[in-house]
Amino acid sequence: MLDRTRTTLSDGTTIDDLINVQTREVQLRVISDPELYDIEMRKVFGKTWLMLGHESEIPNPGDFITRLMGSDPVLITRQKDGSIRVMLNVCPHRGMRVCTSDAGNAKVHTCIYHGWAFKNDGDFIGAPVAGEKMHGEMLPKEKLGLTQARSHLYGGLIFATWNFDGPSFDEFLGEMKWYYDMLFCRTDRGLEVLGPPQRFTIKANWKTACEQSAADGYHTLTLHRWLGEFAKFGDGDLTTSMYGTEVGSLHGHALRCMPVANKFKQAAGFRDGNLTLEEKLAIVPPPGITKEMLPELIRNLTPDQLGLLVDSPPQVGGMFPNVLIAFIYVPQPDGEIIGLTSLHTYIPKGPDELEFCNYILAEKDAPEEHKQKALQFAVRMLGTSGMVEQDDSDTWPHITQTAKGAAARNVTMKYQAVCTTPPRPDWPGPALVYEGFTKDDTQWNWWLAYRDLMNSAL
Amino acid sequence: MTMNAVIPTDVSSASDALSRPNRVPLGSPVYNQIAEFLYEEAWLLDEIRLAEWVARLDTDLRYTCPVRQTRSLAQNAQSIVRTVMHFDETYASIRGRVGRITDTRSAWAEDPPSRTRRLVTNILVESTDHPDEFEVKSYLLCSRSRFDETTLLMLSCVRHDLLRRHSGTFKLARREIIVDQTVLGFPNLAIFL
Repeated sequence: MLDRTRTTLSDGTTIDDLINVQTREVQLRVISDPELYDIEMRKVFGKTWLMLGHESEIPNPGDFITRLMGSDPVLITRQKDGSIRVMLNVCPHRGMRVCTSDAGNAKVHTCIYHGWAFKNDGDFIGAPVAGEKMHGEMLPKEKLGLTQARSHLYGGLIFATWNFDGPSFDEFLGEMKWYYDMLFCRTDRGLEVLGPPQRFTIKANWKTACEQSAADGYHTLTLHRWLGEFAKFGDGDLTTSMYGTEVGSLHGHALRCMPVANKFKQAAGFRDGNLTLEEKLAIVPPPGITKEMLPELIRNLTPDQLGLLVDSPPQVGGMFPNVLIAFIYVPQPDGEIIGLTSLHTYIPKGPDELEFCNYILAEKDAPEEHKQKALQFAVRMLGTSGMVEQDDSDTWPHITQTAKGAAARNVTMKYQAVCTTPPRPDWPGPALVYEGFTKDDTQWNWWLAYRDLMNSAL
Repeated sequence: MTMNAVIPTDVSSASDALSRPNRVPLGSPVYNQIAEFLYEEAWLLDEIRLAEWVARLDTDLRYTCPVRQTRSLAQNAQSIVRTVMHFDETYASIRGRVGRITDTRSAWAEDPPSRTRRLVTNILVESTDHPDEFEVKSYLLCSRSRFDETTLLMLSCVRHDLLRRHSGTFKLARREIIVDQTVLGFPNLAIFL
């Protein structure tokens, strides 16, 4: 595991001074301190696995996309053999960005500055005027390729890290993989993106969005209260949907499993235990699923996973450090219930700014009509113009600004609402399980994971 | 559907050719009426008179805002993406969005509201095969101020509209908003463009 050090800021403050494990408090100073930001870029974004997109964005050999790993630009390419490479999009000659497009298809990527050329696997091909040996003779060509990241595909999602000696991706997910598999590995052909991501800027520190992603169910009650006030969405009481089961780990991963029976009148019968899986799927299928997919679900999930997915699917949550996961329902006025799938990455763009990157996905095997509806409603509820997530975009900047005050920086964010309900004896899954009303535990675990990395040796 | 389902950049018949036989000349009565319609629309939106704005929308409205990507010049046709968009709306969904603002007490994204200024310019009008329908291209520069931020947030775009004449006045039947930013500088699109 990680070597622990005592990371100390220039005024002598330690990470452990700022994140108080005994009282479950985080000093606001942590939010937008520039000194901490520099450490985060190296110890968090330079070390953990980061989600960068989905392989369906680059289906054909030569296809590429460019993304950010923290503040590092990377080029992600599809190889001839179908595999995917993630590499630093920085020319080893003078540091110019090699590929300047967001996406496209190319066999060769040539830097526009001095013309150094690279195969789409990153290997150095050569520099113009070969006879003059402008790449020098001090380093072999093998040393002049683009810096490769360690990459991994999970459910088609592209992950990468600069930490070659660190945990494997499966170790990174740990026990939470059991739950993530219910979302990302449940069908034969898996998910696909329905287009490139929406991208926009919020003048807020990345952590304000990310600690919320670690399953802050409680904010929905107030910040997203319009959902209850707007006649079209349910009976107006959001409190019942605050009850469920939160699962998480000390890696900072978290999901909220929300009982379908608490949410929809038509699913009240789910509680009795008399309905078959087919019957339940016909009443309210998990978000993104159609009842026709049952044979696939049976093939890909264990009976325990499938039972939980149908009764109490993980609907929102995150993956440390900067992914939000939303597999949510949008009930329609006519009684139809549409399920959406969306993932966000919150990309740090300095201590006071983040880029909100919103991927909208669907099961490849879903009918085209289902995908189109899911896409339209995802755009209407989440992301840039999403009626739910619009309301998040002022809170995070306000927190980022208040955190700068001479007095306010010493105010603490409190994670002292502790779950005291024991897990149900028949709870089928692993990891840390928090039963009942949504509490602060999974978010606190996010901070513990952050603290661990920030105290790690580089 | 895959990433390749991208339509070329020729966004409407009004977008490319400069001299078209269908051009409605600047200063002509129809041109003036349409310019006035767009100026009034900008005024209603800036004044947050949303119900009056909705009254100017036709019931078959399509209101969309594609995502933009940086592409090489050779692949520039694909810089406009009409799969995942920032807005993907119908008349009913726009009414839902307006209802969230006017009929609830908790639409925090615009409460307190932004102070906006929609500057509409470069209006070009084309007649169509239908005598009461006009394709209208306009540039929009929308500035937005929230709280005590001194730097205005800015969004520039071109709008490709279809305006339909209804007993002497116009209604908006189609709008495609082509924004210039791949990463929007706005923290959301809780306002209309």
